[in-house]
Amino acid sequence: MNPLLQRRQFLGTTALGFGQLAFHSLLGSETGVMSPTSHHPARAKRVIFLFMKGGPSHVDTFDPKPLLDRDHGKEPPFDLPRVTFAKQGNLLKSPWKFRQYGESGLPVSDLFPNVAQCVDDLCIIRSAHGTNPAHGGAALKLHTGSDTFVRPSMGSWVVYGLGSENRNLPSFITICPTLAHGGVNNWGSAFLPQRCQGTPMGTASTPSVNAKVNHIAHPSLGQDVQRRQLDFVQQLNRRSLEENPHAEALTARLESFELAYRMQTAMPDAQDISGETEATRKLYGLDNPVTENFGRQCLLARRFCERGVRFIQVTHSDTEVQWDQHSDLYQGHTKNAAEVDKPIAGLLKDLKSRGLLEDTLVVWGGEFGRTPTAQGTNGRDHNPHGFTIWMAGGGVKGGLAYGATDDYGYYAERDKMHVHDIHATILHLLGLNHERLTFRHAGRDFRLTDVHGNVAKSILA
Amino acid sequence: MEGISQGRNEAGRTIDGICQPSELHRIPGIPPSRHRNRGSSGVGFTNVIIPHSSGTTRSVGLLSLAVLSFGLNRTFGSEAISPEHLDFFEKKIRPVLVEHCYECHDAGQGKIKGGLALTSKNAIAHGGDSGPMLTTGDPETSLLIKAVRYKDRDFQMPPRSPLPTEAVRDLEKWITMGAPDPRNEEVVAKTSSGGMSPEEGRNFWSFQKRSEISLPSLPSDPPVTNPVDAFIRFAQREKGLTPSLPAEKEAWIRRVTFDLTGLPPTPEEVDVFLKDTSPEAREKTVDRLLDSPHYGVRWGRHWLDVARYADSNGLDENLAFGNAWRYRDYVFKAFNEDKPFDRFLIEQLAGDLLPGRNEETLVATGFLALGARVLAEPDRAKLEMDVIDEQLDTLGKTFLGLTLGCARCHDHKFDPILQSDYYSLAAIFRNTSNFDETKTGAIHHWFEHKLEDHGTAAELKDWDKKIEEARKAASGFKSKTEGEIRGKARAKAVDYLVAAVGFDPDTSLDRVEEIAADFDLHPRILYHTRRHLGVNRDAPVFKAWWEYQAKGDLEGLRAFYEDKFEKAVLLFSDLQKKDPKIAVLPDADLEVYRAELFDNAGFLAVPAKPEHAFDEIALAEYDRLEEEARVLESAAPDHPAAMGVADVPKIVDTLPIHIRGSHLNLGDSVPRAFPAVFSSGEAAFPEKASGRLELAKWMADPDHPLTARVIVNRVWRWHFGQGLVGSMENFGPLGETPSHPELLDWLANWFVDEGWSIKKLNRLILLSETYGMSSTPAGERYAEIDPENRFLSFFPIRRLEAEEVRDAILAVSGRLDGEQGGKTIPLRNRQMVFNHTSKDHTSYDSLRRTAYLPVVRNNLYDWLQLFDFPDPTMPTGHRVSTTIAPQALIMLNAPLAIDSSAAFARRLLSSAGNDDDRIHLAWQLAFGRSPSAAEAESASSFLVSSADLEERWTLFCHSLFASNQFIYLN
Repeated sequence: MNPLLQRRQFLGTTALGFGQLAFHSLLGSETGVMSPTSHHPARAKRVIFLFMKGGPSHVDTFDPKPLLDRDHGKEPPFDLPRVTFAKQGNLLKSPWKFRQYGESGLPVSDLFPNVAQCVDDLCIIRSAHGTNPAHGGAALKLHTGSDTFVRPSMGSWVVYGLGSENRNLPSFITICPTLAHGGVNNWGSAFLPQRCQGTPMGTASTPSVNAKVNHIAHPSLGQDVQRRQLDFVQQLNRRSLEENPHAEALTARLESFELAYRMQTAMPDAQDISGETEATRKLYGLDNPVTENFGRQCLLARRFCERGVRFIQVTHSDTEVQWDQHSDLYQGHTKNAAEVDKPIAGLLKDLKSRGLLEDTLVVWGGEFGRTPTAQGTNGRDHNPHGFTIWMAGGGVKGGLAYGATDDYGYYAERDKMHVHDIHATILHLLGLNHERLTFRHAGRDFRLTDVHGNVAKSILA
Repeated sequence: MEGISQGRNEAGRTIDGICQPSELHRIPGIPPSRHRNRGSSGVGFTNVIIPHSSGTTRSVGLLSLAVLSFGLNRTFGSEAISPEHLDFFEKKIRPVLVEHCYECHDAGQGKIKGGLALTSKNAIAHGGDSGPMLTTGDPETSLLIKAVRYKDRDFQMPPRSPLPTEAVRDLEKWITMGAPDPRNEEVVAKTSSGGMSPEEGRNFWSFQKRSEISLPSLPSDPPVTNPVDAFIRFAQREKGLTPSLPAEKEAWIRRVTFDLTGLPPTPEEVDVFLKDTSPEAREKTVDRLLDSPHYGVRWGRHWLDVARYADSNGLDENLAFGNAWRYRDYVFKAFNEDKPFDRFLIEQLAGDLLPGRNEETLVATGFLALGARVLAEPDRAKLEMDVIDEQLDTLGKTFLGLTLGCARCHDHKFDPILQSDYYSLAAIFRNTSNFDETKTGAIHHWFEHKLEDHGTAAELKDWDKKIEEARKAASGFKSKTEGEIRGKARAKAVDYLVAAVGFDPDTSLDRVEEIAADFDLHPRILYHTRRHLGVNRDAPVFKAWWEYQAKGDLEGLRAFYEDKFEKAVLLFSDLQKKDPKIAVLPDADLEVYRAELFDNAGFLAVPAKPEHAFDEIALAEYDRLEEEARVLESAAPDHPAAMGVADVPKIVDTLPIHIRGSHLNLGDSVPRAFPAVFSSGEAAFPEKASGRLELAKWMADPDHPLTARVIVNRVWRWHFGQGLVGSMENFGPLGETPSHPELLDWLANWFVDEGWSIKKLNRLILLSETYGMSSTPAGERYAEIDPENRFLSFFPIRRLEAEEVRDAILAVSGRLDGEQGGKTIPLRNRQMVFNHTSKDHTSYDSLRRTAYLPVVRNNLYDWLQLFDFPDPTMPTGHRVSTTIAPQALIMLNAPLAIDSSAAFARRLLSSAGNDDDRIHLAWQLAFGRSPSAAEAESASSFLVSSADLEERWTLFCHSLFASNQFIYLN
């Protein structure tokens, strides 16, 4: 194991070290204690995870299936899984047309005309698969690698492995996350140090314009009054420190108040988009009420990205119409895609023009895909057996379709990438070896990938 | 072949991390339950050439190898291989194996996933965890072929992509020809360093019975009277450590009061103690605190940590545990009444099976039911085994300090626990009902004991009915309103088509709203209409639209569609009068227009989201109705029931070992039994009962090597902040060794002899000199000799725990509500805490003690989460104490701190005396002592400010809450 990680672990388990540790880690690069500790050269420094809650359909977006069109309405000519979430009907063709885009000529459906313009930057993994056919289990699996127990989330592992690049902001921020289906567990640090916990801004029920970190500001006191109060607190604290000079936790606490005070300014600064140009706002669709909400989330993601936040999750989880079209596929997916297509394309273009896409890995996907078979007359059921996740930037090949599902899109079949493999590959791009990024807890070494995971080397740029 | 046997069951935790794939060294072909050679481990990481033998003695799971080649020659003898066969192997088979299989199944590289190596003839013959890989001459029954054919979704290899068809055919052919293989080396596997055998385990300290311990003799003057001190002082002398001086009386009473009740001492209590100069002053204080009802709240809460208590499921789906509070109250009462710990254990594991079972003992079994479960798991068989796993893991960690869950997929990698031991215990729990037959959608309901309803049944039925009606009112209103919107849009269908000509699909909704206003249309529907036209450009129904649009002929467009729609609608209604069942128009052309007009997902689709579809008034009404239904449900009384477990009607005596933890890959059956390390004899289990009661009694036996040690160690930890054994939940070889082994055993003996009384143990420890030491070290030497202070040369300073922080703020400000017991989660049993809306309705406005606030898994109350409240899905005997900036933010900005500061200020301002007296009182309330002159001075100068009186004092009080002295105990 990497000596720094080892030291972290040692500190993490001793009573005296802990406060000190968390404190230094928050200071991040300033003290150098938590400077990045890669296992190998990193291609990406940070991650933006665009999570489409509910399960967008791959056969209607990035994985065209001509045979599905041809055999529309027929019984599926293959065995269904042993366990399915709901009763499966006959094959259902996609209501959308696919067109080819870019130099790569990769097909994208009419649901994503804007993202399609960036197709040469996308690495479309068409062979993703997971293990759980229910939302909660699948969302937990995707975020934490386990659908059976509470485990640290992917973002927490990344922060644990790489530390922070900004001393005044959290290292792992999740914007408007859903509280359902795993909820906090999806950004929780579980047994990893508390500092690795994701910091939520609002929830899926909060319009992103109102999304804030909890307790980031006093409801009435001005900063100057609060400064005076803080000085008095610190005066008292210094006295107790003089009485107990050996207690490191007391020093750490003294500093944590100063850091908190600085966060009170840094966070609103990061969220204040008044300085963004008209062109940028338009790029993200902030000029259209349909795209404004998600557009703002994406723009915030870029701003956090610039400020060195390590892992940023952006969730699209409509409170009524998630990507979960058991019925009315056409309506639901049309609405959802209309809300995210422009903002996502805007984010990719903006990151690229600012040179950030180079070392920022953007990941798009839901907890599973949907069945090529119908549920009811016009819906699709959950499908964890084969679906699409795409990545962009941060060391992946653009303009690539990797892996494949079968002819109808039910099962991942070629170059299969299990969720564990996706995790292993993301960590790899960040310079972390998924087999060596471990944490000892309750007598065992834990990993994001458990005992699984292979890096998909052929998607690396 | 790791993935192979697993299907979708990966049995996560149990093989996490430490058992890296490369370490899974089991001899191929030897099912875990057989051929074990107990006690012959220790081969180490070397390739071993195995002599032929027929060694099939029982072995430890870790493959100590020897066993390999039994009978090999008979089947796959090393007779010479023909040149043709050799050629076929080298050209067709070896390359496939090397390219596609060796990455995971190469014994030489130590890669033996699923226990399988494919690098030698013997290895293939023996196979892996799933059994031998081939039947010579018969591809149809060979596992190898089954896997590469990729037909069985739960059993296919290679994991990422199927082999080329040609390669599969070659493998089939190869097996048909007898699987000729020149790789005769019998190098099979590297062996794992592995866990202990049961025999070895019996020599490990924690599995050995306790013996009589005599007190160490110390030349001490005055003599040491408390046995605890004798052991501690003795070890300190050995280490060359000097203990610190006794703590100040103020520090001691604050320490002990928080310790036993979780609350600060009142100024009066401090005063009485300071004035009491009798030798019994401390005893009196300890007895007073042990008698306080707050004792049970504080110490019961410790137990809830290790019982992973929560008021909601919060794993995949978050349903309220509306009856969990009964277990919480049971625990608090048990501590207040000092229920003997052996009885406490038995009630929690088997209260439903006790001869004198009653409501209290049924409630106690909630311990087994409180785990977080994947309630929407559609695979029932997996779900049942996952629940058993959670129960075994929890009871192992909580009572025995054993990580039993590690043996779900394979023998424990470190402890002397075999996989067969795990399934013997699981067989006991397989006889337990964990689920009711009802469900909420796809969500399974956990089992509950029905309790006496005291005549409320009729009333509850009425509530159920009212809730149902309220829900229907909301959903009915929604469909009615949608119907109206749809009807209105249909009446103006042509206007939508005309208006849609005026803009392209990328137009901002703002602009579309303006256009819609001109035509008096629904903007979101119009927005959709235009996009729908784009997507369905080729649909016959819109052919005319595109033509007229291209020509810019709006009048023509209007006339065309008015004509079509009108005709279609009229014709249809005429036909309907004759035949009410008619579904489509016979005229195929007209039907296209009719169908589109009436298609709910067509160009006039009403937005699915009420916020988008409804006007403000309708939306407000809909929200009101939904909220009414939710509030009604939240307020409804529950059917009286207790979470718990009961035996199933049909008892099974055995359970098959689940190979690699998968319910899809079953091995030999094992009988119900206790782990082999604890005894060599077989235990007798009743035919007609699960065996849980026998298990509980066995665990509660005074001579059980682990139970008493584990609980005594916990109590020690809860007093001193660290255990004598540092790893509270792990007394196995990977856990920490005891700092004071004799003290641990002496305490365990004493505890059992004194009737398993927790309060007596508290008293013994609290009245020791060790507990009474100052937190200031006597010198610097400890930093070199004992930097972690395991030998307690001074009292460890500690930060208040989450509940203490909030309770102290409320107590000092005079706001604390001391009410005890009862249901506190403001949700009905099994109500969703969160649904898809992500709206957080949990309220924490209550001013009751924090231990009574709902523990919502998945969305813990901020004050709990930030101050290191343990993850309520796993047993935690040692809470960590971190220092992070968000703790400062909540302390500075949260309403609880602000409001309590104001109350604290009012409390001071309403007291008699001048500002100096008030500062004095503030110090006594907040810190349990008087301020020094310098402190009083800086307080006075802070209070000089232009703000108004109450505001000034509020800020002052807030500062005291935020200070280190408030939140740390010396």
